[in-house]
Amino acid sequence: MTALLIARNTFREARRDRMLVAALWAGGVLLAATQLLSPLALGEGLKLTIDVGLSGISFIGLTLILLVGTSMVAKEIDKRTIYNLLARPVARRSYLVGKWAGLAATLWVTAIAMGAGLVLLLVVRGHVEHLAPIAQGVYFAGLELSVVTAIAVMFSAVSTPVLSALYTIGLFLAGQWSYDLRAFADKFPPAIAAVCHLTASLVPNLPLFNIRTLAASAQLASFDHVAMATIYAVVYCSAALCLATAALETRDLK
Amino acid sequence: MITDEHGSAPDARAPGTPAGAAVSARGLTKHYRHPWTLKLTRGLTDLNLEVGRGEVFGYLGPNGAGKTTTIKLLIGLLRPTSGEAWLLGKPIGSEASRRRIGFLPEQPYFYDSLTGREYLEFAAQLSGLGGQEASTRARHWLGRVGLGERPRLALRKYSKGMLQRIGLAAALIHDPELVILDEPMSGLDPFGRRDVRELILEQRDRGTTVLFSSHILPDVEMLCDRVGVVLGGKLVRTATVNELVASQQQRVEVRCVGAPLIEVPARWRGRIERVELPEGTTFVLADEREVNDVLAWLLANGATLRAVTPQRASLEDFFLSVAESEGQSRRMA
Amino acid sequence: MSALPIWRQRSLAAIGLALALGGTAALLSAQAYQLLPRPRPLEELAYYPSGQHLRPATLGHAETAADLAWLRAVQYYGEHRITDNRFERMEHVFDILTTLAPHFVPAYVFGGFALAQEGRDFPAAERLMLKGIEDNPRSGTLCFELGFLYFVRPGGRDLPKAAQYFEIASHQPDSPPQARRFAAYARQNSGDLVVSYELWLQVYRSTQNRFLRESAARELRRITQAMQTGRDDVARHHLGVPQVLLLPQ
Repeated sequence: MTALLIARNTFREARRDRMLVAALWAGGVLLAATQLLSPLALGEGLKLTIDVGLSGISFIGLTLILLVGTSMVAKEIDKRTIYNLLARPVARRSYLVGKWAGLAATLWVTAIAMGAGLVLLLVVRGHVEHLAPIAQGVYFAGLELSVVTAIAVMFSAVSTPVLSALYTIGLFLAGQWSYDLRAFADKFPPAIAAVCHLTASLVPNLPLFNIRTLAASAQLASFDHVAMATIYAVVYCSAALCLATAALETRDLK
Repeated sequence: MITDEHGSAPDARAPGTPAGAAVSARGLTKHYRHPWTLKLTRGLTDLNLEVGRGEVFGYLGPNGAGKTTTIKLLIGLLRPTSGEAWLLGKPIGSEASRRRIGFLPEQPYFYDSLTGREYLEFAAQLSGLGGQEASTRARHWLGRVGLGERPRLALRKYSKGMLQRIGLAAALIHDPELVILDEPMSGLDPFGRRDVRELILEQRDRGTTVLFSSHILPDVEMLCDRVGVVLGGKLVRTATVNELVASQQQRVEVRCVGAPLIEVPARWRGRIERVELPEGTTFVLADEREVNDVLAWLLANGATLRAVTPQRASLEDFFLSVAESEGQSRRMA
Repeated sequence: MSALPIWRQRSLAAIGLALALGGTAALLSAQAYQLLPRPRPLEELAYYPSGQHLRPATLGHAETAADLAWLRAVQYYGEHRITDNRFERMEHVFDILTTLAPHFVPAYVFGGFALAQEGRDFPAAERLMLKGIEDNPRSGTLCFELGFLYFVRPGGRDLPKAAQYFEIASHQPDSPPQARRFAAYARQNSGDLVVSYELWLQVYRSTQNRFLRESAARELRRITQAMQTGRDDVARHHLGVPQVLLLPQ
């Protein structure tokens, strides 16, 4: 219950923050840019629009996470606004879950708004066969951003804003390359290959959420894929928030 | 087990047990170790404290003595190195211990983008009040602290005094049984300080326990039933204000004329301070019991008395003397 | 456990839960990799007409982007080599790579050979190598490798062009030592005995290798004999149909 209150407050703060408005504007500009570039794409303008549109959701979402999420907990500790919450009957784990949920909700709203813009653009251009795949693409982007948000909150609970941004970027990139790491692992001796596979398993499996190619080809991901991605996102976010809780529980809030 | 004369077990809420006291601490200690040099800094050492229900307890000490450390340990913002403490019978660090308390930190910071009313509603809801109740109380308290005319003003536009007042409102909005205030008067103008004093007295009249830290002694003297003095991370004295002041010897000031050439006898040297002024001589006696002898001596030497004024010992005097004696005992140790 | 303060108990419990959840996530991740289709990032680039449009997007970090593109190109080649052996996007991939990093010589060499051999697209390989030479006119390596591609072109060697590029290579600062010999050999077998004679003479005079000098001397005698008798076929060697296998490294 308190987590929900904190999530609502975090969402309210983000709404009033200029960054959300800027993010939505950036999304609009990106979609407009795709229409300018489309004629140069040798007949692949539709694919370009969908690719850039869905990639834009991830990119803008990641930017928001780096600007807001990575400093969220650290800034509250520095500015002591965290006292407002933790001096009340609010468990530290509830605080973290609430903060994560609030920011994730903000990102979902951003993703849905941009997805709606993309859908509108395609409807205007007469391409209705892509609507369901795009909706699915937005859903997967939302899952991906939720996972990265959990990672950002985790680092923010243990480190300064700058360091937690760097760690988040690092883990994000490692996650994006996790499939390449697995592919390269087999070229190494077994011991090193095992370490590579373990590392690839522990970093977030972000390629799992990348169905942009399918969406651009008006194809839907299978039910298994959707289920797996959803369950994975829930489990990974929970693990990250547990680690954040473990760190924050023993931390002195000076 | 200790029983009373009828053989019954004592009331679990009786003072002296963790369940009975509003605040209870045993051996509460907080030390900091530098992560690189491993140097140990002692923040608070072996605090044993009981604050009874309904008391107003002042927690005194100079800057850096450990007042804020104590309060943050009780609230659960800092984790103790060792020892235990309870708030209203519940162990610190648990959510239950914070359910019926209100807290105002030394320099409160708030969510800038919220309005005063939104912030109070949020605070009330976090303390367990429902939406409608929280809204009603937020309106009431906003008015009570003099901020009711502009409920939609964002907190980022509040002055320091306004922030302190809204912080107090947030600490009291859910009718807590125990209120903990860290330097509540700091940085306030006389009107602000008066308002805070009135609020504290109001809470006392309601039976709320108030624990507040301060280094502004006149306020403590005016409001508190008991005080504790903390120096160098240790609680060195606790007593009622009257006991503390009464333990100080009363001074007496004697003003006279015609005594510029009178020598102070050797037996009184160090106990009588002499101040020569254009309008006469003032003798300050450290011990009121010697006043009769001094008056007789002055009259015998031809001085003309102008005034004999007892100086009531203040808490400040007590505080300074404790601080000095602690300093001396540390130097000797 | 009960002797520990409450926050330490919570912290330990959270760590335990994190380990359990993390293990579950790791298993799910490995499963997903095995069972689900993987994204093909290279194909996202397919609709760009050329790497030129990509260059401005790298914001001055074209070389870094090229490094990433190189990794992807190698992976692309490897993946398709062991799966479907179809390389429809390969020319495009290497075009992007070499536009981002026009002086990255190994990209041209690898791309040229991959296109010619696996891709079975000699014209694309030729275009890529010529692009490389245009951007790197002093590269003996590129000239030599193009000459070699002409020399082993499936379906019929192009000896005059091979010889031409071998000769150009031999004049560059980083010329492979065998460039001149290859040029001489190609000229000889294309019937250009005069030029071939000059090339072999240079080899004879410059090489420190006894066997190479003997080899050069032998070819000089053959050419002399052919020119004296008017029978070019004496100077030429029989060259079979080229079947060059590029073995995986």
